[in-house]
Amino acid sequence: MDLQKHITDATTEIFETMIMLDINAGDPIVEKINNFKRSVSGVIGLAGSCKGMLAIHLPDKVAMSITGSFLGMDVTEVNDDVTDAIGELANMVAGNIKMILDEKGNNVTVSIPSCVHGDEYTLDTVSDSKRVVIPFNIESGQFLVELQIKN
Amino acid sequence: MKTDLQQNIIDATQNVFDTMLMLPITSGEPLADKVYQFKDSVSGMLGFSGDIQGMLTIHCPQKVAFAITEQLLGMSVASVDEDVKDTIGEMANMILGGIKDAFLHQGTDINLAIPTVMAGRSYQVKGVDYASWTTVPFCLNDGEFLVELKLKTLK
Amino acid sequence: MGKRILIIDDSSTMRKIVSRSLRQAGLDFDEILEAADGQEALDLLEKEKVDLILSDINMPNMDGMEFLRQKKENDSIKDIPVVMITTEGGADIIGEAKSLGAAGSIKKPFKPETINEVLSDLI
Repeated sequence: MDLQKHITDATTEIFETMIMLDINAGDPIVEKINNFKRSVSGVIGLAGSCKGMLAIHLPDKVAMSITGSFLGMDVTEVNDDVTDAIGELANMVAGNIKMILDEKGNNVTVSIPSCVHGDEYTLDTVSDSKRVVIPFNIESGQFLVELQIKN
Repeated sequence: MKTDLQQNIIDATQNVFDTMLMLPITSGEPLADKVYQFKDSVSGMLGFSGDIQGMLTIHCPQKVAFAITEQLLGMSVASVDEDVKDTIGEMANMILGGIKDAFLHQGTDINLAIPTVMAGRSYQVKGVDYASWTTVPFCLNDGEFLVELKLKTLK
Repeated sequence: MGKRILIIDDSSTMRKIVSRSLRQAGLDFDEILEAADGQEALDLLEKEKVDLILSDINMPNMDGMEFLRQKKENDSIKDIPVVMITTEGGADIIGEAKSLGAAGSIKKPFKPETINEVLSDLI
């Protein structure tokens, strides 16, 4: 399972089509990153023949700028519009990943997303699953897409 | 799907506490207003999908998370470490497993994803507006915790 | 040498929880060994003698079902009783485990008495 490619393709497609922002994928981040400051994290579960979870971690600034592009308006604080937009972003990326996994013979369904926001929080998955974290660069900064698949 | 979500949550949570934890808890009335701001807390989230999509979240103040972990592991806990996070994640897993059984009796089949655990001094957890939510508070000696079930409402 | 139980689960916390439950159940055993997935368990079983195995189903690298399949093909370990520990265990999953040689299953959450009921005849 080439999780790096799945994540890169799924995320890039959303940004090129729906959000229309220039985006560049970086190399997978190997160190464990689970501590986030002044950030927003959209989290969604994957279930069925593959169990897993997808999370998108963005600094507040980047979350606001993506929301602004999504909604076509200026966003100056992390409000409900931002958490809804980031939840929706996680939903769309997971949806793309689901399609890629299904094309390879799996049967995956996605849950509903939740969005976490705080000055400082940790976010961990409990299981020892295969985990890939890809950084993406857009004009307003960098965000991470993390995919964990258990089997 | 006709089901009493409040009762499903209470039964599943009670079962975990009666069997593996052997800690007495009492359930309260479902919350009328959403709670999404948490301080010095640990929250375990677990998504599910299948016949219906949703997410189960358990929100515990640190003290309660420690008490549950100590009870399950039989050792004392001083900080929100891997054992505490794994325990809260496992609680979400077991409670949702019980809810899955209740749903199955109604002919609704769901599959569980993998749990994620958040912790911090101050954080918010928000859902989406196309989901219905039911949040039940539970009390034990060391405090109160919340079990929240969000379901994608059929349009 | 006293009886030894192997716990297979990818969560180290879950292994501690199951260990504790085994002790609380008052079963007759001396030592608990641990493995994080099916492959680690197979590697451990090449060197260590074990009297009973408790295994999770959903694990990365090699899950519980694949572990059962491979164990069945190995003459030196195929007769060690395995009890599956499940969260989502529907009748079909448990049926599949039994057809692969599992001696039984325990659904989480479980009471110490349940552990006793299912395991005391096997150890």
